[in-house]
Order: sequence, then structure tokens, then C-alpha cells
Amino acid sequence: MKRNTLVLSAVVFIFATFAWAGWANFEYRKQATERLLATATKGELVVDAAGMPEYVSPLKGKAAPPFALEDLSGKKVSLDSFKGKAVLVNFWATWCAPCKIETPWLVELRDQYAAHGFEILGVSTEGDGVGKDDKAAWDKDKAAITHSAQQMHMQYPVLIDGDSIADQYGGLDELPMSFFVDRTGTVVAVQMGLTSKADIEGDIKKALGN
Amino acid sequence: MKIKLRTLAGLAAGLTTLLAWGQVDSASRSVLKGAAVEYMYPEQVTVTAGKATDVALHFRVAQGLHINSHTPKEEFLIPTSFSIPDGSGVRLETANYPVGKEFSLPADPGNKLIVYTDEFVIQARIVAAPGNHLVEAKLHFQACDKEVCLPPKTIPVAIDVIGK
Repeated sequence: MKRNTLVLSAVVFIFATFAWAGWANFEYRKQATERLLATATKGELVVDAAGMPEYVSPLKGKAAPPFALEDLSGKKVSLDSFKGKAVLVNFWATWCAPCKIETPWLVELRDQYAAHGFEILGVSTEGDGVGKDDKAAWDKDKAAITHSAQQMHMQYPVLIDGDSIADQYGGLDELPMSFFVDRTGTVVAVQMGLTSKADIEGDIKKALGN
Repeated sequence: MKIKLRTLAGLAAGLTTLLAWGQVDSASRSVLKGAAVEYMYPEQVTVTAGKATDVALHFRVAQGLHINSHTPKEEFLIPTSFSIPDGSGVRLETANYPVGKEFSLPADPGNKLIVYTDEFVIQARIVAAPGNHLVEAKLHFQACDKEVCLPPKTIPVAIDVIGK
């Protein structure tokens, strides 16, 4: 009987320790995420309270940084010109295999929600530091982007030189990266990496205000 | 009473396993912050000056990441390539790359990529001029994990080549 009491006490102690550790861990992660959101200029992959990795962007809830980039025909396209619409700013690259998987989903979702006032801006972000001053490299990049856009039937505006706005959008150190902007120009959701068509659709609905 | 105690002990063990799993999962994603590929060795090689010599260069890809092989299947993927800059006193005659292994993204299991993971070795055939050369060779690659890709990168490969 005495032995059983001792074992039971030990088990209760272990459970209490786990409960305390879990609570302390939850509080620590919550505070770390809040600190990060308050001070960070870059997005961060953090571990959420459930222990799962979660991308936290300091842009969420803030106005989407304005930009004007060239499309494949050389015409400047600005984010401001889409005010009143929900916009998915999708950063991708020609060499990015996960981007190639999600693009067909984006094409389908754009077709599905365009009539509701939704548009996608596919911003190519090659990450090679090539600027317009290096004409040969610029033209080579542009040809590869055009080829990819045609191959994947990207009917929405495809913009080039996403690298030039990477800092405003948190560094873009990982691709694909998607910012969901509502009709007032506020970032309502951010996704890093390949998620799922359902997740993307959910955030499109959020941007549309559905 | 014994059964109940065993049940409690089992629950405690299960809880421990769950907590450990959470830590492993978060650790596997935190690799995105560190170096994707690291040059391991050799730091120094001694070769016969003017004579082509094979040197095995060992690299390590961070856990959870892969990089494209030198000959990826798809045209759009950036191949891994090794180079030695001109004027360093050491000339790269040829570089023999490993074949790589097949890998599929979970979201696209039918599409096989050819990649390097963990450790891989490039056999570089070099010709060194007489003397001591601190060569800063380069490895160009592009890394991804199962969901995310990192921008293409070039890392220095520092080797002290002594040509005798």
C-alpha cells in the first residue's frame, strides 16, 4: 500500500510537471511571437502554441507596401491600381518547384473568384540580383519568366523584379510567398511555402471579406 | 491498482513522446535559418605541381533540405556546380559530380527530382602551379525543403593547395 502511494505520488508529480512545463512553454511562445511582431521587419517561422511551425509576418494587419513593377510587356503595373479589389500578391520564381505545384491552383482560383472582385499579381522573384543595367542577364531572366508563365497558363498579371521590393515584403528569403490583400489595401493573411488549394481559397475568401 | 498505475505510466510516456515529436518537428524547419550547404573537407591538399590530381571534396546538405544535382531532370531547375576562379594558381580540369538520388515533393509524388541530400562528394581534377595557393573555389546551388525553396546561392570553398 505504501509502495502504491509512492508510485501514485510520483506519477501525479510527473503530470503536474508536464502541465506546468506546457503552460510555461505556451506563455513563452506567445510572448516571443508578440515581441517578434512588434519589432520585426522580416517574417519569421515560429513554433506556435501547439508546437507546429507557423509563419508570422509583421505585415499582417498593416497596409500592403505599395509597388509598381513591369509586366512581361514592359508596362508598369501598380498595386494601388487594384484598390477596391481583393489581391493575392504571389511571389514565385522560375526555379521554384513548389511554386510550379501551386500555380495551377492559383489559375483555377483566379478564374473562380475574378467575378467577385479578385485578382492575382504573380511577382517573379529570381533572387539572382540581376538588375536592368545588366541587359543580357535581364533579358535572359525575362525570357525564362515568360516561358514559365506561358507554360503554366498564368492569365493574371505577371510582374518582374520582385527582388526590388523584397525588403518591403519581409525579405522574401523563402518561396513561394503569398500576401492576401483586402479591398482596402490591408494584408489580411500571409502564407509561406506550399500550403494547399483549400488554405489558399480560405485566405482569398478572407481578402474578399466573405 | 497495478493496472491503473501502469495506465498512468503509459500516459506519461505517451505525453513525453508527443512533446519530443514537437521539438523534432520545429527543429527540422529551423534549418531554413542556417547554412543550407556546408563545405566539410579537405582544408589542405598537397599535389604534384603541373600534374592533374583528383581531389574528393566533401559537402553536407542541412537536414531536411535538398539541392538539385548537377544534372536535374527539369530544365528550369538550377544545377549544382563547382568552379575555381581564374588566376588562383589552381586550374579545375574536370569536376565529376555524384548522380544524386530521386526525390518527390509530397504534393507532387509523380514528379521525380534528382537531388543531393546529407553528404555528397565532388571529385575535382585540379592542376596546381608550384607554390602555396589559398584557393577560394565556389559551389553554386539552390536548396529547397518539402514546401519552400531558398534563393540560389554561391558559397566559398576554401582549400589550401600546395603544389610541390
